[in-house]
Amino acid sequence: MTKNKSILDRLLFDRFHLLERPLFKNNLMNIKIENRCLQSFIFLLPVILFATIFFFIPFIKVVYMSFFKGAILGESVFVSLDNYKILLEDAGFWRAMGNTLIYAIIVTPIIFIPAIFLAVLLNRKTKNVKFFRAIYFLPVTISFVVASYIWNWIYSDIYGILNYLLRSLHIINNPILFFGSTWLARFSVSIMVGWKTIGFSMLIILAGLQGIQQILYEAASIDGANQWQKFKFITLPLLRPSLTFALIISVAGSFKAFDHFYIMTGGGPARSTETIIMYLQKIGFEYYKLNYAAAISVVFLILLLFISVLQFWAGRFNE
Amino acid sequence: MRKDRHLEFYITNILLTLLFLAPFYWALISSLKPYNEILKYPPSFFPAHISIESYRDLFTAGEGVFLFFAKNSLIVSSLTIFVVCLISIPAGYAFSKLKFPGINILFLAVLSIIMVPFQALLIPLYTLIHQMKLLDTHLALILIYTTFFMPFGVFMMRNSFDSIPNSIRESALIDGASELKVMIQIFLPLAWPGIVTTIIYVFMQSWNDFIIALIFTSSKSAMTLQVGLMNFATTRFYMNWGMINAGSIITMLPILILFIILQKYFIKGMLAGAIKE
Repeated sequence: MTKNKSILDRLLFDRFHLLERPLFKNNLMNIKIENRCLQSFIFLLPVILFATIFFFIPFIKVVYMSFFKGAILGESVFVSLDNYKILLEDAGFWRAMGNTLIYAIIVTPIIFIPAIFLAVLLNRKTKNVKFFRAIYFLPVTISFVVASYIWNWIYSDIYGILNYLLRSLHIINNPILFFGSTWLARFSVSIMVGWKTIGFSMLIILAGLQGIQQILYEAASIDGANQWQKFKFITLPLLRPSLTFALIISVAGSFKAFDHFYIMTGGGPARSTETIIMYLQKIGFEYYKLNYAAAISVVFLILLLFISVLQFWAGRFNE
Repeated sequence: MRKDRHLEFYITNILLTLLFLAPFYWALISSLKPYNEILKYPPSFFPAHISIESYRDLFTAGEGVFLFFAKNSLIVSSLTIFVVCLISIPAGYAFSKLKFPGINILFLAVLSIIMVPFQALLIPLYTLIHQMKLLDTHLALILIYTTFFMPFGVFMMRNSFDSIPNSIRESALIDGASELKVMIQIFLPLAWPGIVTTIIYVFMQSWNDFIIALIFTSSKSAMTLQVGLMNFATTRFYMNWGMINAGSIITMLPILILFIILQKYFIKGMLAGAIKE
């Protein structure tokens, strides 16, 4: 079939090549378009199948499931908004929500302030910039599981290196249990996450900084602007899109936190560091209340979509 | 004045480098200490003896089950990379060069997968995989990873193909080549940086994933390194820090080696993933 088509193209080409070009092109195009539709479809089919089966149908199903109640086996019963009503009064859910929010508030400046500092530090034309950038980016490439274990060992109570250093500097007398109390546990995890993700935010901010044209600074110098004025009137306004952007990505990331809390604190002490996803995982896959977990998923989805819309909006801003 | 600034730059950066690398160093050193030296107070910063006890025990424990985890991770990651490339290259090509009714909406639909956190779909995916009788198999992980990492590939490949001029394609088509042939023989060799970036991104994501592997696998026949390491650390090697550190080093080694060789593509991939996410 395709072979016939290409022979046809050939014939057309031979017949019309003496005619003026626009006509020839149009004819060729019309014949091709039909061919292309089928071909595009074949090229796109696998992606469409994957997206439909493992994304769009589950997406609809999670909403659908949240309106039902049922055992793993047997009939599900339509309960309309009952799962959501339970959710509103579920202390465990709100505690997890609060924990996640507090974590997001703590971790954001821990990532952000050093990231801006590093980006400004590396924004120059020296040979070794790429080397240092790679070093700060290195922890981004490893998994949260591995990062958590490395830091669990650093934070270890008796043999931990951090306790040893603090003791030998006489900052503390007795070893600290870094996951022993709620707030300390939150900060301990956040510092690990800072180490692991500063490099990523740095990269986005650095890309933003490098996009600012040098000529603006030169022009400002000619006008007699000082360092601070240059930073305030050129760098900051032009960097704002990248900053907003990196900020939103990092906030969205904190709301999805699971691996590091699961491994480092296990949600403790007394479930005070349990995140939304940990709660979802527990309800769904330890208690097997799938329909109720679906309702939690939907609420989480709405929350994150809201953040994503902000992100998209910030991305637009960027262009 | 200028020299001073240079010096300042290097001193700050070298101090920060030491700070960022310290956790890696500490994990490596701890994994290479003999058992009696790991639990010593005060801890030694430079081990008196190097020992591979921890690694030996890591690999031999439970009839080499840790190697099994490594094998599972390797199978799942490489097959995910293969499937993602196989489906996102033609799709990227179609989105870049071909016409199809509603193709732009379709492209947005594929990108919308990135906007939605996959964590919210774990419940329906679990029931789906359960119905397909694929729980605790490599295939379950490959299917789910492919779905959530392919939009990056599609986006990356579309951009790569966009930067190649259309005239090359048109002249090849007029010469009678089929669309598939044009894509494979003319466009693929030119678009390899996009392919490498996709491979790196997918490898990093699928190798490092924890929650999907935790939920969809339960036995050593399908469990990946990340979940296997967690299982070891919480049961078999509870508080055995020599082995936990050795396990961590082995688990991150492939990624670190790749990063050292192909740093540029990691950074490119992370930036592209972030900007369109």
